Amino acid sequence: MPRLPLEVFAPNWSTDAGLVVLEAERVLAASPLAQAAGVQPGMRRGGVLMLMPEARTVERSPEREAEALHAVALALLQYTPQVAQAEESTLLIDIGASLRLFGGIRALCRRVRASLRALGFSGYLSCAPTARGTWMLARRRAGRVLRIESLTRRLDRLPSTLPPPARAFAGWFEGIGCFDIGAMRRLPRPGLQRRCGRALLDVLDAAYGMAPELFEWVEAPTVFHAKIELFDRIENAEECLQGAQRLVQQLTGWLCAHQLAVERITLLLEHERGRVARPPTLVEIALGEPTWRDEHLVRLLRERLAKTVLEAPVIGLALDAAQLQPMAPPSESLFPEPGGSEEDRVRMLELLVARLGPDNVLQALPQADYRPEVANAWVPVQQKVRESVRLSQLPADVHSLPRPTWILAKPIALLMRNHRPFYGSPLKMASTPERIEAGWWTEPQTRDYFIAEGQDHTLYWVYRERIVGAGEDADPRWYLHGLFG
Amino acid sequence: MSCSQHTAAPEDLHPSLWRASQLAHAHTRCVDTGHPTLSKQLPGGGWPTGTLIDLLLQQPGIGEMRLLRPALAAAAARRIVLLQPPHPPQALALAALGVPPSQLIWLRANRGADALWAAEQVLRSGSCGALLFWANHARGESLRRLHLAAQCGETLFFMMRPLASAQDASPAPLRLSLRPAAGGLDISFVKRRGPQRDAPLFLPLTPPSLQRHATVDRPVFAPASARGLRPELVN
Repeated sequence: MPRLPLEVFAPNWSTDAGLVVLEAERVLAASPLAQAAGVQPGMRRGGVLMLMPEARTVERSPEREAEALHAVALALLQYTPQVAQAEESTLLIDIGASLRLFGGIRALCRRVRASLRALGFSGYLSCAPTARGTWMLARRRAGRVLRIESLTRRLDRLPSTLPPPARAFAGWFEGIGCFDIGAMRRLPRPGLQRRCGRALLDVLDAAYGMAPELFEWVEAPTVFHAKIELFDRIENAEECLQGAQRLVQQLTGWLCAHQLAVERITLLLEHERGRVARPPTLVEIALGEPTWRDEHLVRLLRERLAKTVLEAPVIGLALDAAQLQPMAPPSESLFPEPGGSEEDRVRMLELLVARLGPDNVLQALPQADYRPEVANAWVPVQQKVRESVRLSQLPADVHSLPRPTWILAKPIALLMRNHRPFYGSPLKMASTPERIEAGWWTEPQTRDYFIAEGQDHTLYWVYRERIVGAGEDADPRWYLHGLFG
Repeated sequence: MSCSQHTAAPEDLHPSLWRASQLAHAHTRCVDTGHPTLSKQLPGGGWPTGTLIDLLLQQPGIGEMRLLRPALAAAAARRIVLLQPPHPPQALALAALGVPPSQLIWLRANRGADALWAAEQVLRSGSCGALLFWANHARGESLRRLHLAAQCGETLFFMMRPLASAQDASPAPLRLSLRPAAGGLDISFVKRRGPQRDAPLFLPLTPPSLQRHATVDRPVFAPASARGLRPELVN
């Protein structure tokens, strides 16, 4: 990752504000905007400020780089359990066992590159049969090789100053006309070892596959907690999502390493501490079905963040995996179900709940009650309802019970004309009444329900209040309560 | 040998060709409407799945659900989504129509954009048997988008819209307008792949059971006294 010193301060999705990273008062890296203004590596601070007065200069931060490298290593654990950190901000991953799972080397490289981009870093990817050889190719951006012979040919052409132990002797190599690694290998081994030490020979042997290599593999921590501090403030939720994507990538890697699936995640948006301290905004996502894939989590986060109103600019993001479960093996049915699997449906409902809100995605839970309003109960779809409970609440004569398809949320009082209820046209009673008298314990109802027919032959469900007042109110009162769809 | 014997009829040349006097072949699987008179008038002999079907209603509650009853009952093996119905749906009535309450999902949306988004998600997931979407205003491009989303799967997709939108163009290959009539529905074919039909089709629908209950003003029977009982019942 050649741009790591810069990208720990400004991830590749953030807007370019002319950032320049200094190390020991010299420019180490500059953002494209600063480079366009003429900032070159090796300049002094004064020179940078003269060329670009609005440039933001920061000191290089090795801690942030190490943290970022660890974060990337964690995310890459989703492709292989063997990830190692190497010198000069590179990561080595052993993909020998993952090729078939991810569909070949090209597909795997594409996915690793996409993960890196989602993490907010840009990197260069190469692959080779030996780890040290890969490292050398990646440092010189020399592409991918798959066979040891082509690797040998490719490595022979690389400059002799590439292996770190050889850099101290760069002048000597140049003096004897040994410009590439191929020439270096042709030098007598005992002499080379006496002059340059054992380390150089070890590196070369490892790169050419003549000596085995040992690595310290990155181990995933037992508890997942990832956070990023943003270098500048974020005021819209869309950019928050970019940061959250990076955290979700890390979560995916961690889940794959531990063979776990997540049921509930919480995202904390930390606000800038202004005059008053603000508690961080909490975005909590509960999943119906445990998952370990990032696409679904990112889609849910996008819907939730789009709805969240940011009260103050965000300066940090943190992600926690609150509830975990062992990863379920994939279903092994030979023929997929025609209408998508159960998980597809659960995923669709979760997505709907994330945008519309839990109170707007409802399932029917009929109640055994005579009063139509009470009988027609709807509950949020996430509530678990046993099928036997639902069936036991249905009346036995449900197929012959005259109930309208649409029931008005609030009954409409009907006008009276010529002693007949009137709704658009005079209503004619088409059925015998159904008397409903129940609910003395809470809301008593004493009503006679009729099916009425308007002049345009539309059927209405109307009722007459049976208990009416005296005097002025003694006329029967009629209400419209439903429509027969 | 005359030339006319060589030229095949256009409908035999390609499945998507038909004469103006004929009904087209269906491109997708069709679900039987359950009403033979209506099925005969539709291309493919039923409601096409994976297609936008426009139903233009004079007002909600004129028998549109009874019209769809056989199709919904057939689709009820999977979930049936009611998106933005005009009034709260009554699960018992839908159960009487053959849709068990466990298969119903009622979606409410606060904004039109949310409703369109939800419809698209349901169609794209393809895991539901039918989607019924009530929309008062829908622009041409959103209808086209929904029609495209419907083609991803085999979901029955009905859009219930007011009668006035019959004037607007729609990408739906099947558009019917429904008006109530005595004992049923008058269905006019606004658009179909087949011959123009001006006269509406009357479709009788089974009304809800009207005479189920006894009359309220029942004559009161004289209370039975001990002496009034017949002796063989007492002993």
